[in-house]
Amino acid sequence: MQLMKQDLDLKKITAGAGGNAIKSSPGEKLFAAFNYAFFILMGMTTMLPFINLLAKSLSSEQAVVSGRVGLFPIGIQFETYYYVLQDSMFLTSLRTSVLLTVIGTALSLFMTTITAYPLSKTRLRGRKWLLLMFVFTMLFSGGLIPTYLLMQNLNLVNTLPVLFLPAMVNVFNMLIIKNYFEGLPESLEESAKLDGAGNIRILIHIILPLSLPVLATIALFFAVAFWNDYFAAMIYITNPELKPLQLYLKELIVSSGGEFLKNNVDAAINMTPQSIQASSILLATIPILLVYPFLQKYFVKGVLVGSVKG
Amino acid sequence: MAKKSTLLTLLLGVSLALSGCGGGAETPASPGADPAPQPSGTPSEPKEEAKPEIRMIMQYGLFDPAKEFTSKYITEKTGYPVQYEMLPAENADEKLNLLVANKENFDVMKLNAAQFYNLATSGALEPMDELLEAHGNHINQAIKPESWESATIDGKKYAIPETGSGVSIGEELIIRQDWLDELGLSVPTNADELYNVLKTIKEKKNVIPLTGSKDSIYGDIATTFGVLTDWKEVDGKLVHKAEQPEMKEFLGYMNKLYAEGLLDTEMPINTAQKAIEKFASGKAAAYKLAWWNAGSTIAALNESNPDAKVSVIPYLKGKDGKAVVGANANTTWFIAIPKASKHKEDAVKFLNAKLEPETFKGLAIGEEGVHHEVKDGKYYPILPKFNDDLNNASAFMTGVDEEKYPIYWQARVRKDPVLQNYFETFQKNAEGLVVVDPMSTAPPIDAVSRNTLKLRTLLDDNALKFITGSEPLESYDTFLAQWRAEGGEDMVKAANEWYQSAQ
Repeated sequence: MQLMKQDLDLKKITAGAGGNAIKSSPGEKLFAAFNYAFFILMGMTTMLPFINLLAKSLSSEQAVVSGRVGLFPIGIQFETYYYVLQDSMFLTSLRTSVLLTVIGTALSLFMTTITAYPLSKTRLRGRKWLLLMFVFTMLFSGGLIPTYLLMQNLNLVNTLPVLFLPAMVNVFNMLIIKNYFEGLPESLEESAKLDGAGNIRILIHIILPLSLPVLATIALFFAVAFWNDYFAAMIYITNPELKPLQLYLKELIVSSGGEFLKNNVDAAINMTPQSIQASSILLATIPILLVYPFLQKYFVKGVLVGSVKG
Repeated sequence: MAKKSTLLTLLLGVSLALSGCGGGAETPASPGADPAPQPSGTPSEPKEEAKPEIRMIMQYGLFDPAKEFTSKYITEKTGYPVQYEMLPAENADEKLNLLVANKENFDVMKLNAAQFYNLATSGALEPMDELLEAHGNHINQAIKPESWESATIDGKKYAIPETGSGVSIGEELIIRQDWLDELGLSVPTNADELYNVLKTIKEKKNVIPLTGSKDSIYGDIATTFGVLTDWKEVDGKLVHKAEQPEMKEFLGYMNKLYAEGLLDTEMPINTAQKAIEKFASGKAAAYKLAWWNAGSTIAALNESNPDAKVSVIPYLKGKDGKAVVGANANTTWFIAIPKASKHKEDAVKFLNAKLEPETFKGLAIGEEGVHHEVKDGKYYPILPKFNDDLNNASAFMTGVDEEKYPIYWQARVRKDPVLQNYFETFQKNAEGLVVVDPMSTAPPIDAVSRNTLKLRTLLDDNALKFITGSEPLESYDTFLAQWRAEGGEDMVKAANEWYQSAQ
């Protein structure tokens, strides 16, 4: 996430530099060069942990245990990846996570958008109160145990929907979309109305196409949040078949650590080798990283749209 | 008002169900029925109807229980379909409390000591005496009376104690023999010799003489001063190690090592993994190794330093010229039936069936010729079949045959010759020297259960401070006063009350 932000900064800067490239003084060139160097360095720093993990995942376990692996693998092997990719627990968790992310993101985006749209209209009666009620839930909640009880009474414990249903309308994201909607000119809606379009049609054909940048951003927020969420699963899921990838990863790491192995000799004998831990972490991170490039053009577009409108 | 009356009905229902189970004839109430009282007038015939599904919650393990060989084996042998669920690896206690508070209807729970005590005293667990009497013949045979003590509160058994693999020694100091040879040193036999050896290594080799981790402060060196496990019997009274005068001597010795650079300066922050890294990469000369880490540690050392040779330092002798090793024989797991269970009798029958001797043997080491073979009276695993099928079998255990399991279990250690070698060497070195913690057989005692973990952390944190000298040893008594005030005094008093009454 951080990494991508910096990439984005780089893009902006290159775009800026490109625009003024016709005539630049030596000072400006130096400045640009410094910028490049600085941001590449920053980018590299955020890459280091990944490179280290990659090196560990490709090294022999002996080299990892003796702490000799830094940025380059020692004693290259690929069995760790083979092992993880045919491990049924990893694959089950991966399937759960993909399902959760796809279904969760689609539903949440839909629900959040249709909540935001009416609330962005000043003519909605009682809008202020409605908004206040939404914001109230941002600040106060029933607490963990009552929420758990509720989920249990709804028969949602140990099901996939419990991981996305309660989070479908995210108030913070809803406010962002609402603000974006409010920024769209009122006249667009008026002219569509004159042409005979109803509310739903206006939303689908006029407002949403214009809002792609914000929708893409929020979709990414949702996707990353669902992908990275382990807490809900930790609370509501005891069935191993339904554990998402992040929970699996967390447990993989915790169950190989000091506190867990105390008094549990059997777990200690079966400890997961570090190189397998490293490849599991990498394999769990790559899918969500792959989503960024596809959504990035909307980010850039969003920036541009904003600037043209002023 | 409404709430109160439902609660009352519930209590009444449970108590009726209980008396129905224990008081009546041996015939079981029909399984799968709701906990409402059964009309006890017509003793129903033991029916061959389908056995209900048992819902069991177990501790965390990195596997899917439903897909394990062992779970299929259990269902096949006992006839009970079982739904397994796991506590999370972290925050397991919170999650368990949540589940119990919501009356999730588990039938069997595999708990650690703290969890068991917590649930038993809050009234969430079913007393098992009568159920065991009626349906627990194999269980009663497998478990020794002294183990039952650990699961008995106010005269009632609230769980089946699982002692696991028996008393075994986990750690022992190891040292680089090739360096000792090079420097003309011999393996140290007591604390003073160890000091000299470490000092020479420091001067001549410029490596960390002794590394260690923050998780394992005591052990070989502490025992030479008489600091063994948490509790020690002195003149018929139990003394906690924090209050032993020898503790100060031990910390003083460690502080000397630390101040002279003989003990890894990073020891207070090292994890076991980090300490192993230092030893395996040839940056440290000595380390207190746990045998379960021996396989990877020694392999890594041999790869990075092909000439390295490692010796196990026999347990160091104390001032009286005798070596001792402290060990715990505590019950590791407690197998309990929660009050919220809907199939209490079936749960006991299920647990009983798992301890039927032949079934249990299969559960522990599989089938002879397929999973294990017998060589000179010892069980050896057949690889990779043993690993594929039985790697996680221990997690499914619900009570063990206390005579046979420690013998069966050792097959697990023989999976790897290095592992086996270190395990057997450690046990052989400790033979005849083991002093079992006198509190091992104690029943759960409130003041002890409540304070043990908290005070252990307090003691360990402060021990590290005294070792590194960030806190001078003179202020140990100030710390001790704090330790006593935060529950230590209560704990020691309660422990001694039990100890006197048990004599």
